[in-house]
Amino acid sequence: MLSYIDKIKEISIRLLKECRVEMVIGFRKGTVPMMNEPHFAKSPEDVENFVWDSNCGINLCNYLTNRGEKIGILAKGCDSRNIVTHIIENKIKRDQLVIIGVPCKGMIDKRKISAMFEGEIGEVIENENNITVKGDGFEKTLNKKDVLQQNCAICIHRNPVIHDELVGDLVEEQIDVDRYEDVREIEALAPQEKATHFEKLLEPCIRCYACRNACPLCYCPTCFTDESRPQWVGKGQDPTDVSTFHFLRAYHCAGRCTDCGACERSCPVGINMRVFTKKLEKDCLELFEWEAGLDPDVRPPLDTYRPGDPDEFIK
Amino acid sequence: MKIVQINKENWTDGLKKLSEIYRLFGPVKEDDFHNFLELEQGQLPDLNCLNTRLSPKSIIYPQSEVMFEYTLDENQKDHHILKEVKKDYSPQAVIGIRPCDARAFALVRLNFDTPEHQDPYWLKAYEATTLVGLACESPCSSCFCTTAGCGPYHEEELDLLLIDSGDQYWAKIITDKGKAFLKAAGWTQTVDEKTALKEIKAKKQAAEDKICSTVNTDKLREIETNELYNAPFWEEVSFSCINCGTCTYVCPTCWCFDIQDENLGSSGCRMRNWDSCMYPLFTAHGSGHNPRDTKLHRVRQRFMHKLKYYVDKYDTGIQCVGCGRCVRLCPVNIDIRRVCELMNSHAAAKD
Amino acid sequence: MGIEPDRLQFSWVSSAEATKFVQVVTEVTRAIKDLGPNKNLVKTMPKVA
Ligand code: SF4
Ligand code: SF4
Ligand code: SF4
Ligand code: SF4
Ligand code: SF4
Repeated sequence: MLSYIDKIKEISIRLLKECRVEMVIGFRKGTVPMMNEPHFAKSPEDVENFVWDSNCGINLCNYLTNRGEKIGILAKGCDSRNIVTHIIENKIKRDQLVIIGVPCKGMIDKRKISAMFEGEIGEVIENENNITVKGDGFEKTLNKKDVLQQNCAICIHRNPVIHDELVGDLVEEQIDVDRYEDVREIEALAPQEKATHFEKLLEPCIRCYACRNACPLCYCPTCFTDESRPQWVGKGQDPTDVSTFHFLRAYHCAGRCTDCGACERSCPVGINMRVFTKKLEKDCLELFEWEAGLDPDVRPPLDTYRPGDPDEFIK
Repeated sequence: MKIVQINKENWTDGLKKLSEIYRLFGPVKEDDFHNFLELEQGQLPDLNCLNTRLSPKSIIYPQSEVMFEYTLDENQKDHHILKEVKKDYSPQAVIGIRPCDARAFALVRLNFDTPEHQDPYWLKAYEATTLVGLACESPCSSCFCTTAGCGPYHEEELDLLLIDSGDQYWAKIITDKGKAFLKAAGWTQTVDEKTALKEIKAKKQAAEDKICSTVNTDKLREIETNELYNAPFWEEVSFSCINCGTCTYVCPTCWCFDIQDENLGSSGCRMRNWDSCMYPLFTAHGSGHNPRDTKLHRVRQRFMHKLKYYVDKYDTGIQCVGCGRCVRLCPVNIDIRRVCELMNSHAAAKD
Repeated sequence: MGIEPDRLQFSWVSSAEATKFVQVVTEVTRAIKDLGPNKNLVKTMPKVA
């Protein structure tokens, strides 16, 4: 994946020089280990700052919403699926975009890696398959495969589903992955156990809404949580309000979530709120054979009716 | 007596005595990170923690705080009247607070305790609190306290400063509150102050030398506000921001709040909740108009407030103590050190 | 979410199907009475900090 960068720069410079796009959205090197920052280049010179490595987990589709100009955008598998969803939902037009596909082998999990070491991590050096983590008094080489974000480890669409350019050969898709082990475990709990489980899960939440804001699907001008007339949810730290926010947000992502992991990645207190969206993803797959963001020409299950609907009452 | 030695074997005993008088707070590790929590009987603060994920500001200024309550039940005498709620302002102590987080209270005080207005909730909670600091021996690489008016051994706002020295802590007494705290714990062993001070000085220097990150703020005051406000870099700075507000919620110096009424059946309360300039409702007018309507406006507000408006208004430096939390936790890696540099050098160029 | 499955039910009743409506309502009320009052996701007054 590290070798992509030359191609990324070459394509970006070409697109900008030929005036096919006004900006290219990519990443620049972060100021702390295992972080890169989304960054735009409006001139060929800006492209110099672009980087690509295993710290590009933020979903860039989030930066497309309602933009008017022509844009080149780097897109991993999940990003590309969110772009498809954006096109279906009229948040951006296909002909505004030059999609620069990035076949992906997964992003590393900053939190997991930090938790493996006692002291502060000073530097992380990456090569094709491994990362070397250095800090005060320790140095360790880890296989990237073992420290991927959980959503990347179980990803089955690593290659962009839609693209105009490609920065490298397509990668092999993972097959035989069990995507829903954690969801099944929760499904098996009794209602009261579920309630307790979720309460525990959400207890550290500070309601910063980073999960919502990092998500390309959450583009509403005023989110129901911010709405004050009427006020759907209380704004304090009441556990019922906190879980209402999470449950409702997940429902708003039903049939749209690509499990890109941007939400979980951005949570400052490390909550895995993806269990909610994954449950709905699983339901969509089982009930409607639907996976989000694969084809811009197929309407999603929640805005279509099919005679074969699995619910008895509606037939 | 200015320095007291606390042998670590007496630590647990002292805390036990203290817990009879104070509600004790300290860093506790839950899952992957530390936070300040109220210590249960017998629970020890984990002083090996680099710093907590969230700042301890919530001990004095909770994220959600009920101020008034009311009833609409007309059978009650005092229906339709907002009544102040009774709160627990009994003595409490924060053990192991870092010097930067303590200094943050001094910055926040300028807002909560002004000649015209005093915030009773903040002040009463502050008064009730003893701050027992812990000097930093190994600061994080993203800490830049020494150039943000602070430092690993900074004493401002602290009542006591603990310095770890192997088998014992040295407790430097800074205020009477601190003295009372030591007395309550039964920690009274005096030391040869000269030697101790000398060693503390050396340790302080060593800790300060370990700070590898700095900011320049010298030009911020001189430059015209509009020059900075209209600087060309705000689009680039704000581009990646997702307006999540994490930076302001984790920040020990951010103080904004919003007031809400919550009603349940025939009674309710008025509470205040933290707010953030990153949020769409921040400064939204009743008319629907919002002067800070776009992401660029919001991001600019945060940095201008911390690094310019505050600097101009109070003349005590920037509204930041360099704890580095926002640097470490911003999900898209917007780094205040970088933005500060842009602002300061923009100012320098206009000189 | 910790809400018992029987507590939430969906049906499709046309305005002409009065008997079905009565039947559905009776069914649902019975099911919910059996479950007793809902305990989860019930908000109480905020605690005074
Ligand atoms: S809900 Fe989370 S995983 Fe799903 S699309 Fe949004 S950010 Fe990605
Ligand atoms: S990002 Fe984390 S802390 Fe913030 S609202 Fe989402 S779950 Fe809560
Ligand atoms: S934490 Fe970062 S992304 Fe979130 S509001 Fe602050 S600057 Fe923006
Ligand atoms: S602005 Fe950032 S570094 Fe400064 S005090 Fe706040 S959280 Fe700490
Ligand atoms: S305006 Fe923004 S930066 Fe300033 S104190 Fe309020 S939340 Fe913090």
